[in-house]
Amino acid sequence: MRPFEYVKPKDSKEALRAKTPTGAYIAGGTNLVDLLKKNIAVPHQVLDVTQALSDKITLKRSGIEMGAMVRNTTAAINPTILEQFPLVSKAILAGASPQIRNMASIGGNLLQRTRCPYFYDTSLPCNKRAPGSGCGAYNGENRMSAVIGYSADCVAVHPSDLCVALAALDATVVVQDAQGKKRSILFKDFHRLPESAPQQDNTLPEGALIREVYIPKNAFHKHSAYVKIRDRDSYAFALVSVAAALQLDGNRIVAARLASGGVAHKPWRWLAAEQFLAGKETNATVFAEAAALAVQDVRPLAHNAFKVDMLKGAIETALQEALQA
Amino acid sequence: MSMSESYYLKQQDTEGRVEARAKVTGKGKYAAEYTVDNLCHGVLVGSTIPSGRIIAIDTEQARQVTGVIDCLSHQNRPLIPGFSSAEKIKESGFGLPIFHTDKIHFKGQPIALVIAETLEEALYAAALVKAEYEEAEFDIDFDKKRQEIALQESGKERGTLEAWKQAKHVVEQSYSIKAEVHHPMEMHATIAAWTAEGHLELHDKNQGVNNVQQVLAGLYQIPKEQIHVVSEYVGGGFGSGLRVWPHVLAATMAAKQVNRPVKIVLTRPQMFVSTGYRPASWQRIRIGADEQGRLLGIHHQAMNGTSTYENFNEGITRVTRLIYDFPNLKAESATVPLHMNTPTWMRGPGDCTGDFAVESAIDELCYTMQKDPVQIRLDNIASVNHPDNKLPWSTHFLKECVTQGAKMIGWEKRSSQPRSRTDGDWHVGYGMAVGMWNASRGKASAAIRMTGDGHMVVQTAMTDIGTGTGTGMLNIAHDVTGIPKHQIHIELGNSNLPPAPSQGGSTGMSSVSGAVVAVSNALKLQLAQYAAKSNPGFNGVSADEVMLSADSITLPDKANVRIAYTDLWANNLLGQIHVEATSEPGEERKKYAFCSSAAHFCQVRVHQKTGKVKIDRMVCVADGGTVINQRAAANQMSGAAVGGIGMALMEEQFVEHKLGGLIADDLAGYHFPVNADAPIVEVAFIGKPDPNINPSGAKGLGEVGIIGTAAAISNAIYNATGKRLRDLPMTPDKVLLATPS
Amino acid sequence: MEKKNSYSRRFFIKASAALGALALVPKYVSSFYRDIKALIVPVKEHINLTVSVNKKPYTMQADTRSTLLDLLRENLQLTGTKKGCDHGQCGACTVHVDGERTLSCLTLSAMTVGKEVTTIEGLSEGDDLHPMQEAFIACDGFQCGYCTPGQIMSAVACVKEGHTGSVEEIKAYMSGNLCRCGAYNGIVESIQKVAQHETI
Repeated sequence: MRPFEYVKPKDSKEALRAKTPTGAYIAGGTNLVDLLKKNIAVPHQVLDVTQALSDKITLKRSGIEMGAMVRNTTAAINPTILEQFPLVSKAILAGASPQIRNMASIGGNLLQRTRCPYFYDTSLPCNKRAPGSGCGAYNGENRMSAVIGYSADCVAVHPSDLCVALAALDATVVVQDAQGKKRSILFKDFHRLPESAPQQDNTLPEGALIREVYIPKNAFHKHSAYVKIRDRDSYAFALVSVAAALQLDGNRIVAARLASGGVAHKPWRWLAAEQFLAGKETNATVFAEAAALAVQDVRPLAHNAFKVDMLKGAIETALQEALQA
Repeated sequence: MSMSESYYLKQQDTEGRVEARAKVTGKGKYAAEYTVDNLCHGVLVGSTIPSGRIIAIDTEQARQVTGVIDCLSHQNRPLIPGFSSAEKIKESGFGLPIFHTDKIHFKGQPIALVIAETLEEALYAAALVKAEYEEAEFDIDFDKKRQEIALQESGKERGTLEAWKQAKHVVEQSYSIKAEVHHPMEMHATIAAWTAEGHLELHDKNQGVNNVQQVLAGLYQIPKEQIHVVSEYVGGGFGSGLRVWPHVLAATMAAKQVNRPVKIVLTRPQMFVSTGYRPASWQRIRIGADEQGRLLGIHHQAMNGTSTYENFNEGITRVTRLIYDFPNLKAESATVPLHMNTPTWMRGPGDCTGDFAVESAIDELCYTMQKDPVQIRLDNIASVNHPDNKLPWSTHFLKECVTQGAKMIGWEKRSSQPRSRTDGDWHVGYGMAVGMWNASRGKASAAIRMTGDGHMVVQTAMTDIGTGTGTGMLNIAHDVTGIPKHQIHIELGNSNLPPAPSQGGSTGMSSVSGAVVAVSNALKLQLAQYAAKSNPGFNGVSADEVMLSADSITLPDKANVRIAYTDLWANNLLGQIHVEATSEPGEERKKYAFCSSAAHFCQVRVHQKTGKVKIDRMVCVADGGTVINQRAAANQMSGAAVGGIGMALMEEQFVEHKLGGLIADDLAGYHFPVNADAPIVEVAFIGKPDPNINPSGAKGLGEVGIIGTAAAISNAIYNATGKRLRDLPMTPDKVLLATPS
Repeated sequence: MEKKNSYSRRFFIKASAALGALALVPKYVSSFYRDIKALIVPVKEHINLTVSVNKKPYTMQADTRSTLLDLLRENLQLTGTKKGCDHGQCGACTVHVDGERTLSCLTLSAMTVGKEVTTIEGLSEGDDLHPMQEAFIACDGFQCGYCTPGQIMSAVACVKEGHTGSVEEIKAYMSGNLCRCGAYNGIVESIQKVAQHETI
């Protein structure tokens, strides 16, 4: 770990002002401290924003607002979230461990870096960590890598479970830039695809802070599910994961949401499958057709062809579970 | 045999382990936790290439870091006398001559050590060390490299291959297992300090303090008495502590160089390349049976990975010679040198690997023959004589284990037709397998120090890596002497105490129990001798006739013969009584064969759409002879089953084939079971003493708990899905993509 | 060894050139020489901290990089909190921060100022044990004992959080604490024992 100056701004204004170009914000620390130890993040200044940012969950007329400093556990057990946005809770609880969920912040969850092993090993090539060094995984050990939306420069996947739910529920991210200006970024625009600049995970402006995450009210609260397939039963990153949410009118699907983790550089929405499901009856055949439609565009790498079948199975299972929820 | 039969029945222990309080309060000190004056911290730097030569090491930047004291490498270190020439290095048997070579054998090989005042400084400085290499070709792909290697005869052939060529039922299949890593929760660590007189003090994590002492005495060419090794609390081993690894030597070298105590704690990624692992393996099995299901012959071929600088043969075909009475048996094996660090023994070494293939093949044969796997075991297990050396088994209860296990799991619920039971999207199935381990015993010593207040300390150098050695010693000392447990104190894991073998191969309790029985009897006789001076009733009594109570020595058969310790001590002007005894195997080894065994059963669910496997139930019935402590023994068995679940479903050391090293080398990348992966494991013991192995009748349980588990799970997955998986670990992707046969 | 230094490559080359040139200058400018060097390899940053551990305040000058885990083990000699991976992947370092289970290896010491840290050493007082410690002894909820303090801290939280409804629930909420000995039977039993007692 490189030596750094530690500062603890009192509020967001001070945080934005105090940050130097080589500074890094720290909230829960569950990802940044790891990256510091690995010498992947080497800031000269670490700004503790635990006091500077809101840790409040506020139900508004049109949706719910979670302050960036809300801890994952707090969100997962919040009564309003459990009642009106249960998918958020299900996704959070599928991730990490109770200890990490107690520490990790909502804002930090959005900003966590990939867990691609090439990114984590400084002796290996990785364009995300060391631009221009190449992507080791593209032609290497890519069992855990992306199957869609990747480029030859990066096949890393986004590790978050929460973000899959947020993507499915069309959340927005409220950010504040270095000049103090606030604006909203649609969740689908927040995380990037790697293209030729995989070092940039997202569209958060340089020096900016996430202030809140906002989820609009929806009618998916009765029927949602989060299915995560991993190499062990808990405390592991996803091989694939699926967030499914259904709005039903009797047996008929009014609207559907389907998103996945473990498949792309960002949480992936299966829009074609969602459209297909709208208006259909809820039955196993329909779910299987939707899953087949989703995986049509998937292009696996040398060692992750299994993700096609697994994804298909996970989508069917998630839809089934959402129906029964 | 000096203990009465009733001893064996007293198996319940509810008071917990002797060291329990120290462990639940965090007060027990593990190697890295001792407070040592003037301590500094060492951090190893690993090679970034898998093969070649170091041209230069640049420590310039590292040395500028605040707090850095020195940097060691092959260019700058104290010479180890045992490494002073190439011949000596070879003779030492140490393996990797750390800091005495510029040759690189594997990625992560320690090439430098940074020593600094604080851990933070040492870690940062280590990241600034740079090396220049001349890179060479490397072999890292086990499956590719093994194609170039020829098999060699492994042990004597029984019968011929020809004899069962026309067998009615034959199965011929290949099986492979990825490399697994021990990963005890405590990362290996050493604090080394040289005293002014040239004595070496070590706080070290290992499974045998005398071994560490011996190896370092050889390397430094000093008397072993000048080396003191303390390993009182050891946070797991599973075989990783049976050798002295390079980092231990690095700490002693550094302590010499900077003339201060130095602590090295390996990082978790370093644990992948520093303390061994179970090597990757490939096996081919051809097995045949006659119409009635009698096993006629087996041809077992096996290969395992090793390093380029040492040859480690895991002994995969050994178990094939042990369980069944194959009239015809041919075994062949070979090792495959790779640019990796040297593998080593890991829980159930060799047998665990071989057993997976043999027990899978027999299961396959059962389906071919349409016979019940339980019945085939009962019909073919060699329960009278050791199939290879023909010695009679001292005791052998594997068939009883099988019968009891079948009853516990409800084997009759199993459908003999694979893929015939479902529960929603889940396939449900049952599987079983058996495991065996040659039970052995080493020479061990123990001492007792007793004071006039009736308190005593039982001592041995043996470690307790979590198996309950100390608790077993306490139970035996109490049972043999009669002194209440709260008056007995246990000391172990210290080379100043009476010598004992390393704790491995399920020999720990088997070896040390004999020593504790012997020393307990020696104490009784010694006290009786003093007692005889004032009470002739004690004259010429045997140890069995004497009993010690909380406060006096008695002869239970003679009601009035009793002398209080206070009187005994006063009459004889005693201070502290010290007795020591040694116990070792003898003639019984020539008369009998010894084994521990276990039967494993499980019920699994396999998700049709995602390949996810859930183990609903796991039953293990074991014969380990006397069960000295019921809870600790059951804990060890269920823990081993959890290890078996890991081996079966998830454990894999990932290799980067193109660049030549490991990848995902941390506990997020290397998965072993979390609590949710295991059901509550149901354990039972036969519990009958082996009257010949040692005075306690305990045969050891460390290994058999894992030998057979993976096959039981794989066989259950087949029963559930009709998919035969012959490649471990059976991760969801493999389970999903496999086609039903 | 690839490493991303925060100084740009250009700065580094310039500084190195400066150093080369400075090697020729007289000794009286050596302090300037040291300053330039310090720019290449940054010096350690200190912070004055008061951390409350087991209700006892500890005031010290700490390295800003010190994690709570290293502070406990190396500076305060509170070695009951264990290092099993140092990267948030095993749970051995679990402590309570303001009553909630937290990984001390991923917590910067500086971030615990004003909070109450409870370690295994502070779970009980004097010779008395916490009921969870008693249960771990009675149920043999460990073997080697290395993950045990983390398991116990996590188990206490698990009961407090109310996640003891079934074996499955306990297992799910205890899966952030790895045990390589596989003593999961006893760990679950210990928690059941304490949970039963607490609900009576």
